Amino acid sequence: MRRTTVAERTPLPVVALLASPLGGLVRAVARVRASVHVKLLAAFLVIALLFIAMTAVSLLAVAETARQTTLLDEAHERVGWSRQIEQALAMQMHFTSMALLSQGAESVGLILRENNRFNDTLERLQTAAPPEERALIQSIRVAQDDAMATVADIANALRDRRLADAMTALRTRQEPIYQKIEALVSSLVAAEETRMASLRSSIAAAQGRSLRLTAGFAVVSVALALLAGFVISWSFILPVREARGFLSEVAEGRFGGKIVVPNRDEFGALAEHMNWMSQELHRLDDEQRVAAEQLRGLNDRLALASRAKSEFLANMSHELRTPLNAILGFTEIMLDGLYGEVPTELREPLVDIQTNGRHLLRLINDVLDLSKIEAGRLELGVAEYSVQEIVDVVHASLKSLAIEKGLTFTARVAPDIPPAWGDGRRLMQCLLNLTGNALKFTRRGRVDLDVRLEGDWLTYRVTDTGIGIPKDEIDKIFAEFRQVDTTITREYGGTGLGLSITKRLVEMHGGRIGVDSELGKGSTFFFTVPLHTDGELS
Amino acid sequence: MRDRTVLHIEDNEYNRKIVRQLLSRTSFKLLEAADGEEGVAVAQRELPDLILMDVQLPKLSGLDATRQLRADPRTAKIPLVVVTSFALSGDDRRAMDAGASAYLAKPYSPRDLMALIHKFLPDN
Ligand SMILES: Nc1ncnc2c1ncn2[C@@H]1O[C@H](COP(=O)(O)OP(=O)(O)OP(=O)(O)O)[C@@H](O)[C@H]1O
Ligand SMILES: [Mg+2]
Repeated sequence: MRRTTVAERTPLPVVALLASPLGGLVRAVARVRASVHVKLLAAFLVIALLFIAMTAVSLLAVAETARQTTLLDEAHERVGWSRQIEQALAMQMHFTSMALLSQGAESVGLILRENNRFNDTLERLQTAAPPEERALIQSIRVAQDDAMATVADIANALRDRRLADAMTALRTRQEPIYQKIEALVSSLVAAEETRMASLRSSIAAAQGRSLRLTAGFAVVSVALALLAGFVISWSFILPVREARGFLSEVAEGRFGGKIVVPNRDEFGALAEHMNWMSQELHRLDDEQRVAAEQLRGLNDRLALASRAKSEFLANMSHELRTPLNAILGFTEIMLDGLYGEVPTELREPLVDIQTNGRHLLRLINDVLDLSKIEAGRLELGVAEYSVQEIVDVVHASLKSLAIEKGLTFTARVAPDIPPAWGDGRRLMQCLLNLTGNALKFTRRGRVDLDVRLEGDWLTYRVTDTGIGIPKDEIDKIFAEFRQVDTTITREYGGTGLGLSITKRLVEMHGGRIGVDSELGKGSTFFFTVPLHTDGELS
Repeated sequence: MRDRTVLHIEDNEYNRKIVRQLLSRTSFKLLEAADGEEGVAVAQRELPDLILMDVQLPKLSGLDATRQLRADPRTAKIPLVVVTSFALSGDDRRAMDAGASAYLAKPYSPRDLMALIHKFLPDN
């Protein structure tokens, strides 16, 4: 199943963009043989350069505006000066008239003062004026010089009391000159004002231009940034998506596929590695499949062999028991007198036959049990059982042996034990083995059976006052055919299978077996099994 | 009252001999068969009062023979004791499942066998 996450769904505009030539650009960028790092750096650099250029252009525009503003200021100043010249001229005329009226020479000084002011201002104007205005200013200066000459003549006439001459000079020479000067100054002012107007409009135009330029740059930068962002990010996202799809294919167990990305950067290298991995997985998978196939075959053959073995065991078990049944059966009916009274001297050998036959039977049972457990063929018959019943049967069947040996033999089951679940007969076999051992390895004293419930666990305990077990042997006695002292075994029989079978049966119930023992004092064997064993454990 | 018959189906001659010896002192009439097929045939012909069936027999296994006898209405109700290999091998459960009235583990004590026979065929 291919998992689809939110991030995997491509928004429609992006799909459209990727289908456009932009998609080609994305793939082209992916194909560039440069690391992701370099690509990102390049994109950022382009955008940064654009911003730097934009800043430079606007700085230039600002400088241009400032220059034009200065020009404007200068023109403004010049207009001011021109007006001062006009004023000085008017004053000169005024003082000339005053001189005529008062017929005194003092007014001539005032005229000269105004003339100086006129000349000073004109001087300043001349230095500040643009070249095209110099000629005009020069004509003003010439006219002014004329005017001053006339003023001097008028002054002289006044001094000589030639009032009529002075009046004539004023009217015929001085006034036309002043009018001419006034006209010249006016045209100067007009020229400056035209210039100011044109400067103002050019400043406005420059400002408009720089605004448009800045806006244009901003728009282009943003567009370029978006484009670079889109192209670069998708040149990374596309291989990542490709890889995700590819990996989920691998995760679903479809190996051997190939991932194709145009990238020649880290993503390209990653894709190559993934292809390699997939190839490798494919190869391993194939090998694994072949191995599994072989194993299955082997397993089938083993299962067949195992079935044959357990059939053999079952047959063997019956084949061995059939003659033994005859041996033990004949011995018993002979001892029971079915063939007539048994002579006393034959009684003992008959009992010996019986004892050894029974021993052989136990041996057969144990060996068959063990081989079944080994083969994993032993199944627990799990059912409800009564702990009390198990203990009663064990106690009853071994009581005569205890009496024979002069041992005290008790059994105690805690009263609160509910019906338990497990293979009752196998657990009985376990308790029989432990109790049989206790009675076998105890010469004097007692053997006590005891069962307790602790939580959900049943503990069966067999305590004896027998010979005990050396410390270094304690771990070993649960192994097959392991016996501490073979002299006792010779005395009582036994092959060393009881404990190992018991241990395995207890473990099949999910329990454990243990022993506390002191050499010469006695032993306590116990096993703990769940109150409810479920059949699965076996 | 006619003598009650016991059919013993067992392939081992010595084991048949033991039962023969055991029943010779009683009023039971003994029939014998040495394999499963013969056992089924004798049972269907003679309709005995009790059948002792060994679990492992030539030609037809004791369990299959038991199932056949249980399937036949004439023999379905006859008490049938299966002699199993080993109480712990699971044979006992299989015997009861096949329709046995009781089972006895081999090797059995002749005394126990007689007790079982008397249980199914009490003296009256
Ligand atoms: N209660 C006990 N006291 C002292 N030694 C013991 C006791 N139980 C077991 N052992 C030691 O552990 C050995 C192994 O016991 P296990 O029951 O496996 O074998 P066995 O009794 O010798 O033979 P089998 O049980 O097969 O007849 C015994 O031979 C004996 O040396
Ligand atoms: Mg033992």
